[in-house]
Amino acid sequence: MQPDARLSLLDRFRALRRTQFGTFVPVLFALAVIWGYFGLVMPLYDLATGAADSFRVIFLSPRNIYNLFMQSSVIATLAVGITVVLLLGDIDLSAAATAGVCAALLGVLVLAGVPGWLACLIVMAIGTLMGLAQGLLVAYVGIPAFVVTLAGLLGFQGLMQKILPTGNLNVSDPFVRGFARVLIPDLWGVALGIVVVALFAYGSLRKQMKRRARGLEIDSPLALWGQVFLFGVIVISVILTLNAYRSLPLLLVLLVGITGLLGWITTSTPFGRALFAVGGNAESARRVGMKVKRIRAAGFGIVGLMAAIGGIFGASRYGSVSYTAFAGGSLLLEAIGAAVIGGTSLFGGRGSVWNAILGALVIGSLGNGLDLTGASAADKLMVSGAILLLAVAIDAVSRGDSAGSR
Amino acid sequence: MVGRSAPPAHLAVRGIHKRFGGVHALKGVDFEVARGEVMALVGDNGAGKSTLMKVLAGALTADEGQFFLDDRPVGVNSPNDAAALGIQIVYQDLALCENLDVAANLSLGTEPVKPGWGFLPRLLRPLDELEMEVRARSAIDRLEVRTLQSVRAKVGGLSGGQRQAIAIARAVGAQSTVVMLDEPTAALGVAQTRQVLEVVKRMRETGHAVVYISHNMRDIFEVSDRICVLRHGSNVATYRTADTNPDEIVVAMTRGLDPSTSDAA
Repeated sequence: MQPDARLSLLDRFRALRRTQFGTFVPVLFALAVIWGYFGLVMPLYDLATGAADSFRVIFLSPRNIYNLFMQSSVIATLAVGITVVLLLGDIDLSAAATAGVCAALLGVLVLAGVPGWLACLIVMAIGTLMGLAQGLLVAYVGIPAFVVTLAGLLGFQGLMQKILPTGNLNVSDPFVRGFARVLIPDLWGVALGIVVVALFAYGSLRKQMKRRARGLEIDSPLALWGQVFLFGVIVISVILTLNAYRSLPLLLVLLVGITGLLGWITTSTPFGRALFAVGGNAESARRVGMKVKRIRAAGFGIVGLMAAIGGIFGASRYGSVSYTAFAGGSLLLEAIGAAVIGGTSLFGGRGSVWNAILGALVIGSLGNGLDLTGASAADKLMVSGAILLLAVAIDAVSRGDSAGSR
Repeated sequence: MVGRSAPPAHLAVRGIHKRFGGVHALKGVDFEVARGEVMALVGDNGAGKSTLMKVLAGALTADEGQFFLDDRPVGVNSPNDAAALGIQIVYQDLALCENLDVAANLSLGTEPVKPGWGFLPRLLRPLDELEMEVRARSAIDRLEVRTLQSVRAKVGGLSGGQRQAIAIARAVGAQSTVVMLDEPTAALGVAQTRQVLEVVKRMRETGHAVVYISHNMRDIFEVSDRICVLRHGSNVATYRTADTNPDEIVVAMTRGLDPSTSDAA
């Protein structure tokens, strides 16, 4: 231990990162930089150099924000699932291929006349089983997750090609398409947002009162109200922006709802606590009597389920299932990148599913912004690589001394 | 043996034998510890301290021997048996989750859940975080760990002494009556060691039976009531700490009671 007379900038940064809200800081910062660059700097630069005669709001226009959210939603769904195995200290390389198999199966099922809702339930069950099977191999047979899911990646890619020999299938089932097409009416969307913010504020206040009643340390009122205020501003402004173009899409409501449920499970239940404990120190979890093997297998089951949901969302959004959009494309690396950029540690035990959504927005914003500026696919890949590296570097630096001792 | 007049034993074992293949690690060891007593367990490397401790904790099963808890014969064949009897062990590596806060670590595996969610499986019921913190606070207060500011601090950011104290608090909190500490001060500096020794003394006051394994004579003479010396997998003697001195213990550890007959034992 060093004398802590003087806090260096790095120490302050680490202290900030340890607070509840601090985990959001780096990813929010990255998002602000990217949005600021594409939304303000680029148009101003164009204006100054005479490339444009007026300040053109393209990137930050409601229309583009809407598209951005929709583009990022499939990445986000997978990233949320992958976060769960990352918390365990494992990795899942097969998530995108699982999503592809589920989407292809969904397309084939609805084409064969199976009702849309039933087809969705079937592929969700199959996705869960695919994840669970890999989880059993990891937990009970003891094969490293990297190898099991690499085999899964290859095998499921092949399986998807078997299901879709042509590599492409249109999905026109109204139920499936509905996820991406149904819009919540403007007023209902705003009402929903206000209810969610009010519940958040009520929950925070109630917790604070209970803490006071039981004589526990309480958060400062500034932090409490700051949290509620920030949360409210973000929720309401997102809804208003989406309303300004179309409306709040059902897809986003479902994504936030599912993430909220998973977020609650990972942070507020014994199962979630076990996920963190296994990721932090598996031996310790075993000694206190946790069923480590079951928990790891269940984690992979959750990724499988989220991959299936991602497949359904993707099929709904694109109106088709194609090999390149899922298994063969960049979806897997984007999803893992989103989870890691969000601040979830690859070493396990640290992270949050909400951060995965923000990470997916970072990845989506990069792709979207570079597309708008006419950058080539090569530029996009290189910039994405640099951002990923930066995110992991921030993670390593903010881990600080605890990383050194491990 | 010295110590016949000691308080009645809470946990006692008689004639423990343990063999690893051809190696006879424990050759009929007797050991006992009373409530409100700190029993030091010492011996040179390979004397059988760790083996005996693992047998007591149920991590190893004895080949022969009897266990008594308050004079009642009991069986300890697994860590769960030991935990059910109130026997807890704090290993040298502490087994804490550095990514979790103090409160979470203290209730790891026995998290309290809110009532009224009986329709959900236990693993998915909401955690009662406040109850967890209250419990953690009371466990920390009971051991008087004064340097710990908040039970919401992540364990990864704590000092070695604080971590040791938390590991001990977890063992104490699990409704235990016997707590075994394996080299609790081995990796600590002077101030941290002091803090841990204070915690060990507090455990004596709370009526726990404490087994203290260490190489450090100064620590042993500061906290222990009796000292059990093992050598080559057998008892040498049990001393009252007040009636002996470090030199005598070191001699007993290295040469046995009588240098001329020790090799025959």
